[in-house]
Amino acid sequence: MSWFKNMVLSGAALVVLATVPANAAGELHLYNWGEYINPEVIDKFAKEHDVKVSLDTYSTNEEMLAKIQAGATGYDLIWPSVHMADIMLQLGLIEESHINQSKGFENIDPSAFRSKQDPKADFCLPYAWGPVGIFYNRKVAGGDIKSWQQLFDYAAKNPGRITLLDDLRETLGVGLIMNGKSVNSRDPADIKLAEEFILKQKPNVAAFRYDVVPLIESGDMAASHWYVGAVLNVNKKPDDLGFAIPEEGATMYQENLCMLKTAPNKDNAKLFMEYLLRPEISALNTTMLTNGSVNKAAIELLPSELRNNPAINPPPEVRAKLQIFEDLGTDLKLYDRAWSRIKAN
Amino acid sequence: MTSQRRRAVVLLLAPITLLLGAFFLIPLGIMVVYSLLEPGLYGGVVWSFYPYSYGRVFGWPLGGGEEFEPLYIQIILNSVYYAVITVIVSLIVCYPVAFWVSRMGPVAKNLVLFAITLPFFANLLVRIYAWLLLLRPTGAINTALMSLGLIDAPLNMIFTEFAVIVGLVYVLIPFMFLPIYASVERLDWSLVQASQDLGATPFQTFRRVILPLTAPGIAGGAVIVFIPALGNFIVPAFLGGSKVQMTGNVIERQFLQSRNWPFGSTLAMIVMASVLVLILLYALWMRRAGKSQPVGEVGHA
Repeated sequence: MSWFKNMVLSGAALVVLATVPANAAGELHLYNWGEYINPEVIDKFAKEHDVKVSLDTYSTNEEMLAKIQAGATGYDLIWPSVHMADIMLQLGLIEESHINQSKGFENIDPSAFRSKQDPKADFCLPYAWGPVGIFYNRKVAGGDIKSWQQLFDYAAKNPGRITLLDDLRETLGVGLIMNGKSVNSRDPADIKLAEEFILKQKPNVAAFRYDVVPLIESGDMAASHWYVGAVLNVNKKPDDLGFAIPEEGATMYQENLCMLKTAPNKDNAKLFMEYLLRPEISALNTTMLTNGSVNKAAIELLPSELRNNPAINPPPEVRAKLQIFEDLGTDLKLYDRAWSRIKAN
Repeated sequence: MTSQRRRAVVLLLAPITLLLGAFFLIPLGIMVVYSLLEPGLYGGVVWSFYPYSYGRVFGWPLGGGEEFEPLYIQIILNSVYYAVITVIVSLIVCYPVAFWVSRMGPVAKNLVLFAITLPFFANLLVRIYAWLLLLRPTGAINTALMSLGLIDAPLNMIFTEFAVIVGLVYVLIPFMFLPIYASVERLDWSLVQASQDLGATPFQTFRRVILPLTAPGIAGGAVIVFIPALGNFIVPAFLGGSKVQMTGNVIERQFLQSRNWPFGSTLAMIVMASVLVLILLYALWMRRAGKSQPVGEVGHA
């Protein structure tokens, strides 16, 4: 019910923010993914700096880019995925923030400087990362699911009880991983293999869907291709639920926090970026997002069930099997066509 | 019409004409233009003439990653299939109910009419979500059937074609009901009586008197159910689990995932053009039926 939670959370955030005195010293306008920042983090910042903060949300990078390109102004900070940050840097939409010269920046894990256009983080601050794996209901699935193969074997025996993401890159990415190919392949032959793989699974797959958490919790679905954020739910019901990074490998996401060139409140935006560098604030945020932290000092402050969770803080050999999406430019069409064929057949 | 009255009419119609022009024709125009431009690398458009988006659907593609595929025609036909089923199911449900409601007392009638429009008061997503809760394996319907001992294992109802049809019919049924009800309400029952007095069987009375007189309502309802059903993308995404793909889903994806605005506009234009052609055919048919009908009716009576 993520869209619903979204509404409730952003609603709650707005209510909280509305209680900040009207004579606030300034404003800050955030444009973030739904459910991708702990409202407490925003609330604390608003109180500390006497700034009125607003939060709007988007659900895909393209949606955000389209809005910014269409000339939406008024936003200060955005949270693009790394490949989208690269695109926006090339389009000249992002302001140089010099965040890498701020106090506390030394805590940021250098392996998180994934942007090709901004390799030293002169512009954007690495925000968070996480693997995309399998979220499952142990009681319904009859045990742990540790690999994609196991997921699809289960589905073959129990059709209509697993879901894959309704995202062309993510789901074709599973097909590419199962064929031992890069998730950034531009080779039509590779993409064809991935298409055939997913198409073969389709009769056994209940749905292509983002909004699966309540269905897994209730046992309507046994397992879903989903984000590491599910660990929040797993930790509430550790006996029933589980999340795994599949053994064959998986994709990962990372978002960077960027200041827009058109930002009306650049000073407050920089303050907010610096505020997120603080280990205790970063840890507070990660506690709700339950994803990978890029702040080495914050990892030490995490509760042990997160710090020691192999999905949130995976060992190096598992990290090595995670692939991040790159922008494919016009070759994205190859994926779009494969995806349309999968959906139509 | 005196020139003064004509001026008054022009003055009165000007605001609504401007409003429609600004908020209907301009966006439509943008869509027409965008469908003929080159897709921008990161969404948006490049301002150069590019007929190849239509080529991908009809057979003159650019090549190099852009191929002609009958797939898109197939997806549009598939959407037409869902829309037609939706029209038929809602017609079957609404037609008898309209007669029933028209025979009710005034209080009951108003209450029923209010109940039919009541769903519009709640958000569409919430209402579709309610169907998800009803149809899922641990949902109300499966739980009830299982506790009654009618089934042993939950039925797979959610994320199927069946769920999509249920959702589309549920969302659009008021649009079928209201026009049919209006035509049933206006039905002159003395004509029905006359046909019975003249010895027509109940079926003949229905076929020759009731059906022709309520046909405008049926046709109106069919058109305003068909069009939104054809373009719907929320129901197939939510209740079809995105395994069912309608044109609306492909169009949405061109804008939100695939960054190909011109192709999205192209598909939208093709759907719109097909709808316009269908409506044109319908209007022509109505006109012909309207001209020939009175003569035929008199002849038979």
